[in-house]
Amino acid sequence: MFWFAAVFLEWLQYECCRRRCKQSFYENITATPTRSYDVTSSDYNYDLWKRGLNILQSDSSCSVRKYLGNLLNARLFLLFFQLVVEFQYLRTQAVEPLATFLDFITYEYMIENVMLLLKGTLSGRDINELIAQCHPLGMFKESTMRSIPTFESSPRGYQDLYQTVLVDTPVGPYFSLFLQESAGRGEVSNVLEEVEIEIIKSSLIKYWIEDFANYVDSLGGATAEIMGDLLKVRADTNAINITLNSFGTPLNEPAMRASDRKRLYPALGHLYPAGTSMLGDVSDEDELGRVLDLFPQYSSVWNIHAAGGSDGKSIDDAFYERDVMQLELAFEGQMHYGAFYAYVKLKEQEIRNLVWISECILQQQKEEIHKFVPVFSFNAPWRAGSKKQGR
Amino acid sequence: MSEVPPTRMNQQVFKGKKKAAETGHGLLKKKADALKVKFMGYAKAIAETKSGMASDSSSAFFSLTQAEYAAGNFKQKVSEGSMTARVRVGAGIDNVAGVKLPVFTYYETGAATDNASLGLVGGGKKIQLVRTKYTALLQNLIKLASLQTSFVTLDEAMKITNRRVNALENVTIPKIQRVLDYIERELDELEREDFTRLKLVQSKKNAEIEENQKIKDAAAAEMFAMGITVQEGNDADITAAYDAGDDADVVF
Repeated sequence: MFWFAAVFLEWLQYECCRRRCKQSFYENITATPTRSYDVTSSDYNYDLWKRGLNILQSDSSCSVRKYLGNLLNARLFLLFFQLVVEFQYLRTQAVEPLATFLDFITYEYMIENVMLLLKGTLSGRDINELIAQCHPLGMFKESTMRSIPTFESSPRGYQDLYQTVLVDTPVGPYFSLFLQESAGRGEVSNVLEEVEIEIIKSSLIKYWIEDFANYVDSLGGATAEIMGDLLKVRADTNAINITLNSFGTPLNEPAMRASDRKRLYPALGHLYPAGTSMLGDVSDEDELGRVLDLFPQYSSVWNIHAAGGSDGKSIDDAFYERDVMQLELAFEGQMHYGAFYAYVKLKEQEIRNLVWISECILQQQKEEIHKFVPVFSFNAPWRAGSKKQGR
Repeated sequence: MSEVPPTRMNQQVFKGKKKAAETGHGLLKKKADALKVKFMGYAKAIAETKSGMASDSSSAFFSLTQAEYAAGNFKQKVSEGSMTARVRVGAGIDNVAGVKLPVFTYYETGAATDNASLGLVGGGKKIQLVRTKYTALLQNLIKLASLQTSFVTLDEAMKITNRRVNALENVTIPKIQRVLDYIERELDELEREDFTRLKLVQSKKNAEIEENQKIKDAAAAEMFAMGITVQEGNDADITAAYDAGDDADVVF
């Protein structure tokens, strides 16, 4: 059962090892930003590169190309293309329970796409435009995609939309959970219309994390251990971020704190339940700092934020850095599914880095260009000891 | 010039015209100076704002990049969302020495901030930073737009005023002056002519009187010599020589 997954994992890890031999990649790209990259010398799967390049040059209807839109940059496109193609390949080859695991990974993107479609429909956008903006990993069937915006924006229409389309999608259960919880507010339409889209999304993500964690738990073994931990940290990160980012918004008002904000905290993680209940009462940054002081793994992250970004680091950078460390460890592990999740997330980080670098080059911010979190870097703080070994 | 009849009345009219033109010239000159002062002020303000804008805008755009790094691509969410303007541009009019300058003012509509919870699960703080930076940038942009529009309008007004000043100074006033000179010259000429003519008549008359006197004196001297005193004047009855019976009656 694990055989295929193991082989693919081996291949992914092997590829990454090759990539590590090319540590000079980031050094090259940051040092000579105007040089276009020689594809053949790159550290990536050569065939895939070539296919990607062909599509980039000829096929304008490719979903990845549409998604990236104006950020179109050959390197970025190829990276993204590689992620999508490899993931889809993996998904078609996978057998249970890996298949479900991979589906779970895509649900996050599905939630995002549904929110985009809903919001876009509300403001009467063209459906083709909206579909082009959807994340390729979170695509529904074409028919489902097209049917979402056909519903009229009236209370009746939303009822129908929810009952006939959303329920059938993989993320339908999360919607029903959300709607049940918001039942006090009245009709489905009212909930969808009144509640801010970001809050709906956060709620859905919360249900997704909880659901995912349950599933991972049921798998047991190393997967439960490693992937469970990844999800716990993800849940904690969300809880802390939601609290921090709610300051200065209506969500921080005492009445909303208990009713709305608390509901967004996932019911798992290292902070749950003692930490999250404390977070529920936090009203400013000082209080948040005091709560996080009780949790050693987060106090260091918080300190970076409290220091006011003395070395130009924000809390987001700190979280990313820690995520990358954890994901790298998960990726390098053997015989567990967490590696696939780590693969997707690390690729995402890499794409983010590339966007960052291209933007820095475009805006001529040379001194900022190194402020990203490199993936599998020998200079990472947690690898400081291993720097002298090997190469 | 020649079409103006050189009369006293026209001279009066042109004197009035010259005075009006000189007053107008003085006023326009003052206006041009006032505009120039304002113009320089605007030029300075524009230079300052622009140099500030360069760094402001690059830092604003870069903060957007930072926010996208932290919060993912949130542009679509903003553009798909409902949008109510939080800031509007008001147009007013400023009056500088009679020139109407358009002024744009930044004012907040008081609408609640849209998408306040954007980036809730990460990057929210960065997005807020983007918001404040772009708001500041927008304020500067509106200020700059206002200055630039005023600058262009002022430039136009200044050109027109200068043209008028120069036209008055170099064309209109000299023209009126020339007409006045001409009228004066002609009037003087006429006066001189009159005078000469009078002089001539006078001298002729005098000469005649003298001649008569001479003749009279000579005759008197002769008479006196002959012993006759000439009675001055002619007292004889002119009707004495008239005889009514000489003519037949005229019958019709």
